[in-house]
Amino acid sequence: MNEMRLLPIPGEWIDRRQLIDFTFEGRRVTGYAGDTISSALWASGYRILGRSFKYHRPRGILSFANHDTNTLMQNGQMLNVRADVLSIRSDMALTAINSMGDVRSDRAHVLDFFSAFLPVGFYYKAFHTKKLFPFWEKVIRRMTGLGTVDPSTPHIRTAKRYDFCDVLVIGAGISGLSAALSAAQAGVDVVIVDENLHPGGSGQYQLGGEMAQAQHTANLVKSVQQHPRIRLYTETEAAGYYDDHWVPLVGRNYLSKMRAESVIVATGVYEQPAVFRNNDLPGVMLASAAQRLIYRYGVKPMNRAVVLTANSDGYRAAVDLIAQGITVVAVVDLRESYVEDQWTKKLCDRGVKIFPNHCIYEASSNPANDGVSAAIVCSLNSGNPETGFAQLISCDGILMSVGWAAAANLLYQAKTKMRFDDHVQQFVPHILPPGIFACGRVNGIFHIEQKRCDGQRAGLEAAAYLGKSDLTKIAVLPEAESPSHPFPIVAHPKGKNFVDFDEDLQLKDFYNAAQEGFDNIELLKRYTTVGMGASQGKHSNMNALRILARITNKTPEQVGTTTARPFFHPVPMSHLAGRGFTPERRTPLHSRHEALGAEFMLAGAWRRPEYYRQRGKNREDCIRLEVEAVRNGVGIIDVGTLGKLEIRGADAAEFLERVYTGRYTSMKIGTTRYALMLDETGVIVDDGVIARLSAEHFYFTTTTSGAATVYWELSRLNTMWRLDCGIVNLTGARSSINLVGSHARTVLAKLTDFELSEAAFPYLAVREMRIAGMPAIAMRVGFVGEWGYEIHVAADSALALWDALMNAGADYNIRPFGVEAQRVLRLEKGHLIVGQDTDGLTTPMEANLGWAVKLDKPFFVGQRSLQIIAKRTPKHTLVGFVLEKNFKGTPPQECHLIIDNNEIAGRVTSIAFSPTLQCYIGLAYIKPGLSEVGNSFSIRTTDGTSVMATVSKTPFYDPDNARQKKIATVRREVVV
Amino acid sequence: MKLITCPINGTRPVSEFVYGGELRLISDPQALDDQTWAEQVFYRNGAPGIKKEWWCHVPSNTWFIAERNTATDETLNTYLYGEEDSR
Amino acid sequence: MTGFRVSPICDAMRLAQRATSEKMAKPSSEESLIATEREINQMRFAQGNSSGHSTTLGITDLSFLTRFGVKGAAAAAWLHAQNLPIPDAPNRWLPLRGGGLIARLGFNEFLIEDSINSSIAPQLIELSQHPPAKVYPVLRQDAAIALGGSLILDLLAQTCSLHFRALNLSECPVVLTTMVGVNVTIIPGEIYRIWCDGTYGVYLWQTLLNIIEEMQGGAVEFEQLLPL
Repeated sequence: MNEMRLLPIPGEWIDRRQLIDFTFEGRRVTGYAGDTISSALWASGYRILGRSFKYHRPRGILSFANHDTNTLMQNGQMLNVRADVLSIRSDMALTAINSMGDVRSDRAHVLDFFSAFLPVGFYYKAFHTKKLFPFWEKVIRRMTGLGTVDPSTPHIRTAKRYDFCDVLVIGAGISGLSAALSAAQAGVDVVIVDENLHPGGSGQYQLGGEMAQAQHTANLVKSVQQHPRIRLYTETEAAGYYDDHWVPLVGRNYLSKMRAESVIVATGVYEQPAVFRNNDLPGVMLASAAQRLIYRYGVKPMNRAVVLTANSDGYRAAVDLIAQGITVVAVVDLRESYVEDQWTKKLCDRGVKIFPNHCIYEASSNPANDGVSAAIVCSLNSGNPETGFAQLISCDGILMSVGWAAAANLLYQAKTKMRFDDHVQQFVPHILPPGIFACGRVNGIFHIEQKRCDGQRAGLEAAAYLGKSDLTKIAVLPEAESPSHPFPIVAHPKGKNFVDFDEDLQLKDFYNAAQEGFDNIELLKRYTTVGMGASQGKHSNMNALRILARITNKTPEQVGTTTARPFFHPVPMSHLAGRGFTPERRTPLHSRHEALGAEFMLAGAWRRPEYYRQRGKNREDCIRLEVEAVRNGVGIIDVGTLGKLEIRGADAAEFLERVYTGRYTSMKIGTTRYALMLDETGVIVDDGVIARLSAEHFYFTTTTSGAATVYWELSRLNTMWRLDCGIVNLTGARSSINLVGSHARTVLAKLTDFELSEAAFPYLAVREMRIAGMPAIAMRVGFVGEWGYEIHVAADSALALWDALMNAGADYNIRPFGVEAQRVLRLEKGHLIVGQDTDGLTTPMEANLGWAVKLDKPFFVGQRSLQIIAKRTPKHTLVGFVLEKNFKGTPPQECHLIIDNNEIAGRVTSIAFSPTLQCYIGLAYIKPGLSEVGNSFSIRTTDGTSVMATVSKTPFYDPDNARQKKIATVRREVVV
Repeated sequence: MKLITCPINGTRPVSEFVYGGELRLISDPQALDDQTWAEQVFYRNGAPGIKKEWWCHVPSNTWFIAERNTATDETLNTYLYGEEDSR
Repeated sequence: MTGFRVSPICDAMRLAQRATSEKMAKPSSEESLIATEREINQMRFAQGNSSGHSTTLGITDLSFLTRFGVKGAAAAAWLHAQNLPIPDAPNRWLPLRGGGLIARLGFNEFLIEDSINSSIAPQLIELSQHPPAKVYPVLRQDAAIALGGSLILDLLAQTCSLHFRALNLSECPVVLTTMVGVNVTIIPGEIYRIWCDGTYGVYLWQTLLNIIEEMQGGAVEFEQLLPL
């Protein structure tokens, strides 16, 4: 059926009993359950799986190691499908992502012929004049992009979870499995993760045709699976390393945040491509890609192969091909001579021609342009190709086995110091941070037995680090021969010898970049974009580094590496989104507000009624009616979001004196006083009201937004001062309701026996009483400028209190009012709101709060700074203003500027239409010279128009504050 | 996520904490001239090194001092204010 | 005239019930959203009556239990003088002889909660009206929750970053941490007890219940979880 399918292989990952059909580029393809998209396509004879980013060249399988960017596909709304990773499903309808039209014929392929005009960094030059930008933008948008986003794609969130372990082993190859086992045997709790569907790693595909090693590996896997202290998570990627061994584990269905006590990195190595002309043709692939195709998916990578190698891995891979009936026409070895071993012997016995000290100069394309037809092989002279002696060897596939680069991303993120080891020609860990260990090929250990030992060593070291075992020395032998070639790169006058397959970067691009001055690794990366594609340099950074080293005559160590950043592989947004916990606070009266038709707003984490909806009335009308109800009758508002703090103790008054600007030691019991809080620079940070309940007991409020920070700061200050007092945060424990209006006293009188006369309960006094049978603290307040009570009760009694007040006020048309109405009411009294009418630099004098500051106290926070500030004239002061009575235009808004003589002379901080005064009123900061009452000034609105305003005295309404202090002498008739 | 050890509640992720600025023992403000006071209030030493900092474990409202290397972000020691010597 | 008291979580059940009847969503969770209103200790609260869920994962509202809080350098001595056992280390708890528990929150703060049968807390509230020096009463208006069932740790793994499995329960630990962004006090055990500021109660309850229902659990009557 599949023309490139092999006979069943022991241990293969596919299930041949289950056929699965899917579509690719509109054509039906059949594969087996367990196939990845690439393996199913390759088995069916597909060669062009995608088109390259810049030149739209046909591409097939390169690494088959979970980072083949050229085979990214789209499945309906699902983007960034890694064809070498995702298993096929029958509902898949896949398309190539960077192709104009069918991937086999991509109309944009013409770009390949214009490549001379698209050199490295061409966009820096293309945009040299702004005039060309629109043209280039259109062109580039059409040509590039790795998929099409469908804006109607549903937002998916998958819940995250936390996970814990003693030792996290990243990578379940031979060394990782060994490490996990030895750590667990020493008594620690181990989690081992592998991004692949099954564990085992190269132990199950670098076989040289012999299954014994695969069996040993399978046994090792079994021991790990059966060990009670080991948890094995497959299909799970360790996406990054964060401080204190915090590793996101990205699985198929969700992301886990793993906190480990130690980490063993056994991530292995990335096989590296050789660089020669047309090394990107479908059919040219890494040797390990071919081995994985064979042993995991039973797919024949090619029929006639040429193997380019520089290590024993290449010979072993050639034997793997032969064992499956694939013809190996030649082995081309970049090295001057090869080491004889069992693999070379097998090949010689089969009559395979071996060409030491040769290179592949060029791969030839077949007539259909969808594969290799031949390899052009040259001998080497001091590393340079002798093109005069080229041989053409016909083949339909080329394996590259020239070297490896450490998959050290997470080690770098953990701040490991790496060094370049000349013998194995790769970076290896040099200084590991505490609790981090490395083993296996990422540690430069390649031989299979040594990998096992190295893993064992790392596991025991981790256990010893955790105090679970004594450290036993395990000897690990170094490599006999280098697994990596120092420079597997061949120049060609016609180019198209690719270094970075994601970004379509050729060898000459690097020479050009260096020539332009971008000759250090960080600059080279950014100018060429090497390593910035979806695979993030896994197959290209090492070669780029080697090239730069050669150009600048440095060692790889001197050139250095760029920083590898999370995430290691693409992570779906759904996994990152998680549930999105957003805490919300509600006062106990919430259900009453809902029932009354409240329109809610968010004030920090709190939900508060902005206003209450009325049928047939818009927002402005509702707010206006609420304001009128308070002025003319009685209103009720839930102010439960206010910060509420209690302080007790012998030094309670002293503490308050140090923290606020006023004098509180002299307060009579049963009185309240305004409280202004500054920071040490003298800037206003919060305000509230302090009530004295007894000699050593005060109860005080803060702004809603300041509650938490004030409590933290007061706690911190007393940690330092050690005064004899204790502070309790009652913000959530108490509910508070304001009952305000000329009928407020009458309403309250229905619910309490407490004497409410002016004499017994004067303005600004505080009293403890029972209201509707509940213990309550009541304060007479003046914030909105009417006779009013602020009543505090325990939160669980709030509903009872509200219902009782609403009931008692029914005869007086008691009206609930919201935040917006309250803001208008307080503005009519000229009261400022900290954070609205003050900013990060406002000091008390500027805000007309000098009266609240007792500078002659022994000490308070901000005092010393105020002493300095008091010597200067304030830059501006807060004034009240009104617009003309019949103003009809668009009124100015908060933060609009006051302009005088073309200069900024101040700004508006609050403005609203006052239903009581029937004109626009506001507060603004203005230069001293312009602040006289009656002075006119100009406000500039957003569209540039000027609005004239006049400085006014405050309060705007009831300037003598008679309404809140005394019973109104004139009463409106109440309609019952 | 970084871990910090609260002296009372143990090791927790940094999301449970709030930073309270560098520990500065402000001498008697009245004894300083205006210039020195302004420097005390506005200037901070930005050079990397081991700093003593105020941190608060929010769920328990525990304020404590952390000695932290601001170059490596390594916390060397945490203790309750005034109990430095008991560590 | 006497007032009535209401659990901070009460509204959550009523709102959810209304939402269900309006939107006719999630048939599998209808059962747990059917709430009955009850009153204990003069506090009204709502209970789910899905009996089957308590073995997998059940959540219930225990805000109605009476409780008392106190802090200060002399708090321990004062409580001792009232014949209460004092946990000897911060962040530990002890059972009270007549039922209920005393939890030491850090060094100098205590939470005393009654069982359904005991009544120490109201007495302590009375006694603390005029507290001695360095004894500061703390008004407790918690949303108090209990979790039971085999999947508790799975729920916690999604909502709280603490390694609960590593706790030594024989030490009777008390944990002050955050859960879904809210400050909480947790006592782990066969049943997990969780307290938070009442104004976050509805949010905490709804957030946890959502996840619990995904895990095939639900809101249950407290009798299902507690041998009170």
